[in-house]
Amino acid sequence: MKMGIITDSYTLFYREMLIFKKNIAMNAVRSTIFPLLFVLLLGSFGSSPRNVPVAVVNYASGPAALKFINTLQSGSSVVIVSQTNQQDAMSMLSDGSVAGVVIIPSGFSTGYGSNSQIHVYLDNSQPQSAAVVNAQVNTAAAQFGGTSLQGSPVSVISSYAYGASSNYISFVVGGILVMVASFGAIFSAGFTMIGDRQLGNLKAFLTTPINNFSVLLSKIAYGTFQSVFSDYVGLVIGLLYGATIAAGLVGFIELLWIILLVGLGFGALAIALATRARDQQTYALIGQTLALPLSFLGGAFVPVTLLPKFLLPVVTLDPLTYAVNAVRDIMIKGFLPLPTLISTSAILLFFALLMSALAFVLFRDTSKQI
Amino acid sequence: MAEEYAVSIENVVKRFGDFTAVNGVNLKIKKGEIFGLLGPNGAGKSTTISMLLGLLQPTSGRILINGVDMSGDPVKARTHIGVVTQETVVEPELTAEQNLMIFGKLYHIPRSELHNSIEFALELSDLVQFRKSYAGTFSGGMKRRLEVAKSLMHTPEIILLDEPTTGLDIQNRAQIWNLLRDINKKQGVTILMTTQYLEEADQLCDRIGIIDHGKLIALGTPDELRTNIGLTNVIEITADKEDLQKVAGIFRKIGLEPTILNSKVTAPGGSNATKKIESLLSAMSTAKINVRNVSMHEPTIDDVFLKLTGSEARDTSGEYKGRQLLSRR
Repeated sequence: MKMGIITDSYTLFYREMLIFKKNIAMNAVRSTIFPLLFVLLLGSFGSSPRNVPVAVVNYASGPAALKFINTLQSGSSVVIVSQTNQQDAMSMLSDGSVAGVVIIPSGFSTGYGSNSQIHVYLDNSQPQSAAVVNAQVNTAAAQFGGTSLQGSPVSVISSYAYGASSNYISFVVGGILVMVASFGAIFSAGFTMIGDRQLGNLKAFLTTPINNFSVLLSKIAYGTFQSVFSDYVGLVIGLLYGATIAAGLVGFIELLWIILLVGLGFGALAIALATRARDQQTYALIGQTLALPLSFLGGAFVPVTLLPKFLLPVVTLDPLTYAVNAVRDIMIKGFLPLPTLISTSAILLFFALLMSALAFVLFRDTSKQI
Repeated sequence: MAEEYAVSIENVVKRFGDFTAVNGVNLKIKKGEIFGLLGPNGAGKSTTISMLLGLLQPTSGRILINGVDMSGDPVKARTHIGVVTQETVVEPELTAEQNLMIFGKLYHIPRSELHNSIEFALELSDLVQFRKSYAGTFSGGMKRRLEVAKSLMHTPEIILLDEPTTGLDIQNRAQIWNLLRDINKKQGVTILMTTQYLEEADQLCDRIGIIDHGKLIALGTPDELRTNIGLTNVIEITADKEDLQKVAGIFRKIGLEPTILNSKVTAPGGSNATKKIESLLSAMSTAKINVRNVSMHEPTIDDVFLKLTGSEARDTSGEYKGRQLLSRR
């Protein structure tokens, strides 16, 4: 008898699938338009960020090095957040707290030969920021060259610590995939739930000898399915447009896993909202107001390091922040360390469980569902 | 001991805040009976139905379905009932067959019997040749038939229909009636239905209960209701709209209790109804009232209903009020 809820949920999920199959053409078109527009729009017009955080490793100890650092900081495009040793700086680059590491070689002040070469390590999983750092270092070097140094002018050698083979499109697509997953769940699960209530289907389900919660489970499952489906479409568009998955096949599987968890959480959130929203218009308004900022603050379009400081608590609480990071790691950096995979999964699962619990509590009094 | 009653409503009260929708209803429906529950809008009908379906919990009292307490074991109680709700809930995006299949599964029909149940329902609803057609393409009557058949797939002992024929044309309505009579006779299914069409209740139902202001105010066979309520032949006079009040006044003068409905004034004639018509006509000719039609007929369930619940049209705000209270809580 305990298995009943699973069977009933499956029956109701199967029903959604039959309807889905009937409308698949429309659904595919809808799933295509969204990512396509975003890839075209965001992919063509990159923003130029300000105050990009960088770390400086200063092996030199002379006025020339300090002068270079000052030149680097002039203007507002980069901010030096730390002057530290190379190891710490590189780990800051790895965890995304800086977008670039600028290394000033030990003989910089004498300025001969290779001693006049500035090394810059960049993280191309945040391509807008990486580009800004690169440009600013080059500008600083150009201003510096020849004026105070004897011998050869200052040159810059940039290398991508992460995402060398990646491109801006991968960055954009990574964000879009997460956004599409959350939107996909919100606008499928919630809508069918409210639609079913308005048509009387929900009432009809509740008068059959099923466990009432199977209705919830089937809707959450449907939302998750829609997330994964839309993301498949989005991913195909992204790959055709030139995005890459640096982590390869394993990355593809990890990606689907992350998307599945996002779908689960937002499917449950959708159902929790739908238990109380009286009509689809109200629901759409609430859903949009919630999903768009969550995607934005999660760093789907702009790296979170560029967001104003006061938004940081929201960024930390936003489950999409972790999903976006994981997806970009997979697509651009080319690896997702096991601890990160586990912590990201745990956070997303926790969110999904929390939202499911909320949906269950709100759905318990079925009188509001008829 | 086998349960004698299919449905047993015992002292059921339902309050929404300080609004009492159902106020102490007692009703027992025998097995194999066709029972009609009537009442004006907002009388407590829909609330009663929702409680019978286990969608609302009674504030007090209890509801037994085939002896099973609806609040205690709703899942078991529901296996005994088939439901046709007010809204036509066939899924337009699914075929007739798929609609039936999904509900067959939700009613936990064993896999081995599911195919037969679907065939049975398709034949019952006369939709065999439309099995692969999407329900969205069906006429209102076809959808209703499909829905009624759907609610019978799991061979329930009781079927509960909330206004099954509202909005249907006369042919489709007759078809639904035949279907209901059929399953009642052949399979002994107990039928509990609500309807707006009193003539429908009169034709179809073995017994009728009239509910108003949350209370059951009349109960009996259609014939019993007609006689017990003291209705005799009904006098009906049609006149110009502006004269109706005057006509009603003349009715009162000779001791009748008139009701104005559309362009008619009607009243139970009591004994000597024919004599009373004579006096009415002469009084009206003196008053120079243009009488368009005079008739006298046996009381219908409409007359019973009007006598009991009054002729004033109730808008649906009563039902809305209930809903609003529901959604606000």
